[in-house]
Amino acid sequence: MKTATLKMFLLGAVLVIAHASVADNMIMARVPLRAEIVLEYVKASVEEHGYTVAHLQLCDGGMQDFGYKSDFYRVVFFGKVDEVRMVSEHYPELVSYLPLKIAVIAEKDETLLTVLNPEALAPFFPDEALQIQLGRWQSDLVSIFNDVRRAVGARIVSNH
Amino acid sequence: MNLIRLLLGGLAVATISVSGTAHAAPDGRELYIEHCSGCHQMEGQSGIGLPLLNAKLADVSDKYLQSTIRLGRPGRVMPAFQRLSDAQVGAIVKFLRQRSETTEIAYAEEPVVGDAAHGHTLYTEHCIKCHGADGSGEGQGTGVTTSRERTFLVMPASISNPGFLASAPDQMIRRVIHVGRKSSGMPSFDSKLSETDIDDLVAFVRSFEQQARSVAEIDADERPTHVFESPHDFETTVNNVKAALTGANFRIFPDRLLEQGLTDEFSVNTRQVGVRFCNFNVLYGMLKIEPRLGVVLPCRITIMEREGGEVILVVPNLRVISRWFNNDELVGLWDRMEETFTNIIDEATL
Ligand code: HEC
Ligand code: HEC
Repeated sequence: MKTATLKMFLLGAVLVIAHASVADNMIMARVPLRAEIVLEYVKASVEEHGYTVAHLQLCDGGMQDFGYKSDFYRVVFFGKVDEVRMVSEHYPELVSYLPLKIAVIAEKDETLLTVLNPEALAPFFPDEALQIQLGRWQSDLVSIFNDVRRAVGARIVSNH
Repeated sequence: MNLIRLLLGGLAVATISVSGTAHAAPDGRELYIEHCSGCHQMEGQSGIGLPLLNAKLADVSDKYLQSTIRLGRPGRVMPAFQRLSDAQVGAIVKFLRQRSETTEIAYAEEPVVGDAAHGHTLYTEHCIKCHGADGSGEGQGTGVTTSRERTFLVMPASISNPGFLASAPDQMIRRVIHVGRKSSGMPSFDSKLSETDIDDLVAFVRSFEQQARSVAEIDADERPTHVFESPHDFETTVNNVKAALTGANFRIFPDRLLEQGLTDEFSVNTRQVGVRFCNFNVLYGMLKIEPRLGVVLPCRITIMEREGGEVILVVPNLRVISRWFNNDELVGLWDRMEETFTNIIDEATL
């Protein structure tokens, strides 16, 4: 009975059309699964959106030496080489924000995904071409987070 | 005007009958998951944000919740949700009510009259150790983020925050002091303070409204990065930057080319490199204040050789970035760190 209720709840969680939150300058999503696993979902979804994962930064090792309690803190770097070239050629000022990066942060058995909203940069660059680019990154990031949430939701339901 | 209303109204009815749920009321649960769960967790257990559990919800008005969503907590992490419609905000509040099975306390609007000076004395005695002299909360960071050590069970809220003061009527502040927030570690002051004392405290808390925000606005012409020209060639510039960073006690990670990992080793541009660095001790301190910092880590100075052989350095502008987090603690820290960055560049481009 209890499992059934849980299942219903989780099913509800999946059926709800997931939308990552775009709270002004930060896009965030909470995923009810362990970070090691969520990281794999993130990488897969990033690639399905046409990006290449450039590398993975492990932040926890160095931080643990200073007592940081998170057992898991990763940053996934990714991009499309054409876009990076376009930016470094025409908008060198922007290279500090590329490749794009998603922070994967463990909070006990859940995971917090966070990314800087590229549209936070929009007010600085009135150029139409760049506005389109920033908007596209933003919608891709939201879509990546939503896919991860749905996939994780579906996994949880099928495991019960 | 009425004609248009009628027309639109008729249209809406027609659409509903065709598409069924197209105009259904906004789904509060869905909106909560989307906008709030990142910081407050699915069941309101709290994370970066404060707990939104039953006992608390039973003690606040719907208006307080609505106003908090709209105004957020300026400079204290929670964003102002200005783009949600009234119906959406209403749906979130309704969802919180259903989840917690609570009904609101609708507080009277009449102000509490008290002696703020005496309230100040009581505040120093009873409240300052948790809420701080300026009311902005003792300790680093907010809520109960699990990934850091905390000196408090729940980090005490900022009670001088303009978002809080604009949302909480005097009568609610009065009640919080009476009953406390026990599950979060704030005791009840019922047995320690008289009614008059509590009124005086409310008057003092209200006086925080006069307090100016500690964080300065930045100039309108600030850019998200600083771009410098180097008088040296590419290799010399890279080496100079590393020497300056080492001198400033940063640990340097292996170089990464800007395009590295995005294309094969033959077509990657080797004249664009990111010198990445970190000071773990400082970083750890900053993560207590802002757990989402990873979205801008590690620190990186990008050095690029341009078409004509000119070498430039691109450095993130910490003053601009820190303000994106809506976190005044972080802003204060980074405004001071900007100087370190400037010195490093000065040294490297001498
Ligand atoms: C980026 C993180 C973040 C997001 C997103 C966020 N909050 Fe908050 N919220 C906070 C923080 C941090 C505080 C406490 C500020 C303090 O410590 O002074 C807070 C405080 C509150 C409070 C006041 C609690 C109290 O004790 O009186 C309420 C109510 C609240 N949030 C509701 C919401 C709702 C509803 C949403 C979604 C629409 C939301 N928050 C989204 C971080 C967030
Ligand atoms: C032991 C620490 C502690 C002491 C002492 C304390 N508080 Fe608190 N207070 C907290 C914490 C923690 C919270 C946030 C709890 C929560 O919202 O879940 C809080 C919340 C509040 C709030 C509500 C803020 C909000 O955003 O909802 C008010 C108002 C407040 N305290 C006033 C006072 C006053 C006035 C005193 C002194 C009479 C006092 N507190 C003493 C820890 C303390």
